[in-house]
Amino acid sequence: MTIRSAVREQVRLERFTIRLALLLVCGCTLLVALVLSQRLRGVLLAALSPEDLRLVLLWAVAALLLLIPITGVVSLVSQFAFWEGWLAGLPDVEDLFSHPCDAPSDPAPRVYIVYLDGIHQSERDHPPRVSAFLAELERCLPPDVKVLRGLDSYTVMPVALAEDSGGSWFWRRLFALQEQHPDGLIPLLAAVLVQANNVIKVGISSDRRYGPIRHYELALKIGLRLDDLGYRPAAGSQLVLLGYSGGGEMAFGVADYLSSISRTPLHIISFCGVFSGDHPLERVQTISTIVGDRDPVAAFGNIAYPGRSPLVPFSRWRRALADGRVRRLSIAGMNHNGRHGPFSDRYRPQVINAVLEVLPLIRAGV
Amino acid sequence: MQAHVELLLDRVGAWLLQADAGVGLVLLVGLSMSLSHAFALLANRLTPRQIALRLLLDGLVLALAFLLASAVDMLLLASVASRQVHASDFLDGIGAALIPGLFYGLVAAPYIADLLAVGLWFLVHLNVVTLLHLRFALPWSEALLLSTPGYLLALVLVALLFRQSWQGSYRQLSSQLQRSGGRGR
Repeated sequence: MTIRSAVREQVRLERFTIRLALLLVCGCTLLVALVLSQRLRGVLLAALSPEDLRLVLLWAVAALLLLIPITGVVSLVSQFAFWEGWLAGLPDVEDLFSHPCDAPSDPAPRVYIVYLDGIHQSERDHPPRVSAFLAELERCLPPDVKVLRGLDSYTVMPVALAEDSGGSWFWRRLFALQEQHPDGLIPLLAAVLVQANNVIKVGISSDRRYGPIRHYELALKIGLRLDDLGYRPAAGSQLVLLGYSGGGEMAFGVADYLSSISRTPLHIISFCGVFSGDHPLERVQTISTIVGDRDPVAAFGNIAYPGRSPLVPFSRWRRALADGRVRRLSIAGMNHNGRHGPFSDRYRPQVINAVLEVLPLIRAGV
Repeated sequence: MQAHVELLLDRVGAWLLQADAGVGLVLLVGLSMSLSHAFALLANRLTPRQIALRLLLDGLVLALAFLLASAVDMLLLASVASRQVHASDFLDGIGAALIPGLFYGLVAAPYIADLLAVGLWFLVHLNVVTLLHLRFALPWSEALLLSTPGYLLALVLVALLFRQSWQGSYRQLSSQLQRSGGRGR
């Protein structure tokens, strides 16, 4: 008891120190910003009159307010092009899982885990910390469980962002510029733009009007990769969609179509997932959400998506909850990303343990 | 009788000429709202002629809905308002109040659509109330009270059109995709 209270006291003191440090940093930043803004104001006022400055600011805000929805509308063009059949590269549903398996002597895996990455994804190879997470997960899994990784969740065709139709010219130039200037602002700008692009794709996925096309196309992409891995519906294998952050939304969206295409019921595991839950979930057998109790992004999902609110009791998500198909696992102290994120050395084992905890229940059909 | 009809038509014509800016803008707002759901028509693989016709028709129906809502406003203003508000002046002014509606086409943007739509509807109503207060010197509370029934009517009419037309198109698209997915079974 004494040791426990001593530890608590220590933690309390550390928290106090961190908060104090944070307050100091914020205070200093504010002070510097004030000094700089005074200088900046002086420079701007020397060049422009206050009226001109106000006008410039007004136009800048208006341009930003217009730019955001226009970008969203433009990003729909590739969805439409896919639906019209103008883009080649994805198979017909009838062609999937139809040819005989290349290695019929191998026993078919009992479970396929399909990993859907978060909004940082720009190419098939995951960032090193995600690859390390997946490698460790694969090491811990039983031999009859196969992981499908390197799936392009945020592009239209089964290619990396730099080769995707529509914006390839832009992304190629940006990534080339990033290679030329590996330090400085360009990599930061590239990361911000990639994430903004992928956030729009998450937005499309959670929009009832455009989501169906997006999910159908992603289901075909996953089907294609499963076909390559040797998945056959007749073998009775189970499918698990494992989604991180925005990948959680993609997993929820694609589940119904993928269940139709692969002719098997599905399971979803999301960690740090941001999802609307406003998708057909009838064919999803179980949903497991692994959440950090310090994750503001996942918590924001509860507010941003009204369908998950208890105020909407008949939403699809609330019905899945009422059916008892949703399991929630909380990890104390885990954040959304960074040093306290699910891919950090500290929390990676806990997230993997949580996945391994859920997996036997899925296999047993609980 | 004929003279009466001619007089009435002359008056309506003169009144429409006075209010042309307002009426023109109402039509443009209708078209912009109709454009925000063009994706549903495109994705349901209608021919370009069918799409153009549907957009125009929806735009006209929406403009009519706004005109009906404005008619309710005018009726209330004429019968209850504490100061005289000429119908053509009101209709001319209402065009400017509807300007935010010209951006309604941006509601096509994914996910932020609802937020944008609510914002634009709010701005339109705010503009109408401000117009009544500043241009016709009605007190704020009276302006709000008299303009709200017409506004609510416009909301109901647009919601009805949405339910009848666009929502059906999105549902059709969704079921088409379900069938495509189910073909593998």
